[in-house]
Amino acid sequence: MEKKLSEMNYEEEGRVGSIKQDLKNKVAGMGIRVGKNLKMITKHPLRGPIVVEVDGAHTSLALSIADRIIVEVKK
Amino acid sequence: MTLTADERWDLIEKISNKVVTFGKFKHTLKDALGELTVKPLTGIPIAITVLYGFWSVFSSFAGTLCTDGFFVKLFDGHFLPWIQSVFPGVGGWFYYIFVGDPAADNCFEAFGVLTSGLFVAIGVVLPAIFIFYLMMALLEDVGYMPRLAVLVDTIFHRIGLHGYAIVPSILALGCNVPAVTATRILETKKQRFIMMTLLAIFIPCGAQLGIMQEVIPESIGIVLLYLIFGYFIFGFILNKLVPGKSPEILIDVPPYQKPMWNNIARKLRMRLGGFLKTAVPFVLLGCVIVNILYLAGTIDWLAKTLTPLLTGWFGVPGETVGPLIAAFLRKDLAVAQLSTIEMSKYQMITSVVLVSIYFPCIATFVMLLKEGWKNLIGSFAVLVTVIFLYGGLINLIWSLLGVQ
Amino acid sequence: MKKILLMGNPNVGKSVFFNRLTGANVIESNYPGTTVDYTKGYMKGDSEDFEIIDVPGTFSLEAKDKAEEVAVKMLEEEKGALVICVIDASKIERGLYLCLEIIERGYSVVMALNMWDVAEDKNVQIDIEKLKNILNIPVVPTVAISGKGFKEVVLSIKKAASVGVKEIMERVGETK
Repeated sequence: MEKKLSEMNYEEEGRVGSIKQDLKNKVAGMGIRVGKNLKMITKHPLRGPIVVEVDGAHTSLALSIADRIIVEVKK
Repeated sequence: MTLTADERWDLIEKISNKVVTFGKFKHTLKDALGELTVKPLTGIPIAITVLYGFWSVFSSFAGTLCTDGFFVKLFDGHFLPWIQSVFPGVGGWFYYIFVGDPAADNCFEAFGVLTSGLFVAIGVVLPAIFIFYLMMALLEDVGYMPRLAVLVDTIFHRIGLHGYAIVPSILALGCNVPAVTATRILETKKQRFIMMTLLAIFIPCGAQLGIMQEVIPESIGIVLLYLIFGYFIFGFILNKLVPGKSPEILIDVPPYQKPMWNNIARKLRMRLGGFLKTAVPFVLLGCVIVNILYLAGTIDWLAKTLTPLLTGWFGVPGETVGPLIAAFLRKDLAVAQLSTIEMSKYQMITSVVLVSIYFPCIATFVMLLKEGWKNLIGSFAVLVTVIFLYGGLINLIWSLLGVQ
Repeated sequence: MKKILLMGNPNVGKSVFFNRLTGANVIESNYPGTTVDYTKGYMKGDSEDFEIIDVPGTFSLEAKDKAEEVAVKMLEEEKGALVICVIDASKIERGLYLCLEIIERGYSVVMALNMWDVAEDKNVQIDIEKLKNILNIPVVPTVAISGKGFKEVVLSIKKAASVGVKEIMERVGETK
């Protein structure tokens, strides 16, 4: 099932399906790119930032950035 | 030839497939700890504990152990009587500037360059700055700061900043000078303007904290509370008023690592060196200037002229003019001076808050100027507004509570 | 004196790395027009001495903030400089991203796979010989905190040369 990264639940895992073009270069250096597996580590309340794990590294993104990344979530 | 991000990643994946084998990823204790400290449910209590611990170590080491336990005894018991007796020309202006009151029995009240000036700089402020930067370097080196940044992002976002604003904010508690530098980790002009203005106005520096700890230990909590409220209230307003963008947080959260002592030592040496070079001369110079202004009668005149404003609007005695002038050079000096003026506990709190939000010390001023004069004028306008609104508000609160 | 830029992602032990390479004579300065700090020092090579600059950490040459902007500017100003790219071996892919960007711009690069011990702990195995052959640049496993691999880094500086990314792509295809 596809959903926005910002909508993923805690501990859910998925594969990056698409990233909005203007965001691509910004997150590329941190290892977030199409086809990559990632895992939601935590979400902060009150529309706070999320923390995801990619290749064993943790990255924190604002929810509005996570809105622009689509993930194919694993069952 | 350059590649696009996608092409580059394609290439990396091909290389990686040929040369790297990822074994089963082991979840270590370090990883578990890393996650616990970044999740809100566990992370926030831990953060509060860490910051509280930071404060306890700071105040007990700097205040109790170094200043009271050692420097007060050294300066008041040995140095002050000695310099009072050997310095020539008791009663002359030269003596007044350098040694101050010949009858003083402690270095807070003597107010000479070589007595109060040296004592404040070395006896009170240096230990405070030392322990502050030591702990800050330790937290930075183990990798705690990015987690703290994630935890506080939600609240900082409301004032137009993002989580990493916690770094300049905490650094400013040491000294505003490196904090102005650290605003570079914020991306846009708007964010940096808000951050610089807020830290110049509302964040008391380690020197000031050290001296408050020393002279008004029972009211320090209320002073800090006022400053914190002010920080967020005016941050919120600035975020609405200042045009520009506030980009979102996007940061790496690195794993914890063992602190490297020579790394910490290097940082500490750099920051302490910077402090000694920029702050100490200003403390001494501040003493000279304030003493000259006293001798020339300027301060008495200003006090008389400004008394209606000071007592009427802010509810503090006219004598606070002297410290307010000193505050332009050094805030720590100003607080030390305030402590010798006769006034009620609540007037004292108001005056200390005023000294804090009043114009940044000259070293910070120079740093802000380096970042651009347009910003500085903007910050200055905000500052004047804040002093009158907030200073008046605090006085109003006291009146309503009927505590004057 | 020839210049060496020390570049890499943040938090890969780059400053410890820098301290190992340089002696006591380290200069802290501001990048002109900004207040981003960087450090500069000197290093004894086997036949000549080098000036070595610790560039602020960055994830890519697409700057996200001021510190990263300074990193990019410093690289652009030192066209003839050699770059030692310090990588966290346990997160080699991220490091390769920055490293490739630098190679693409025509710089001679020595790649240091730092935190090699952490990578071993995490069961990440890297075939150094293959990687060297594909990239055609010196690749050295290092552990900055213990000093492992530093002699080799110094010795491989003279072997570094500019390589074409096209050739790298071809060599990947041929490698088994």
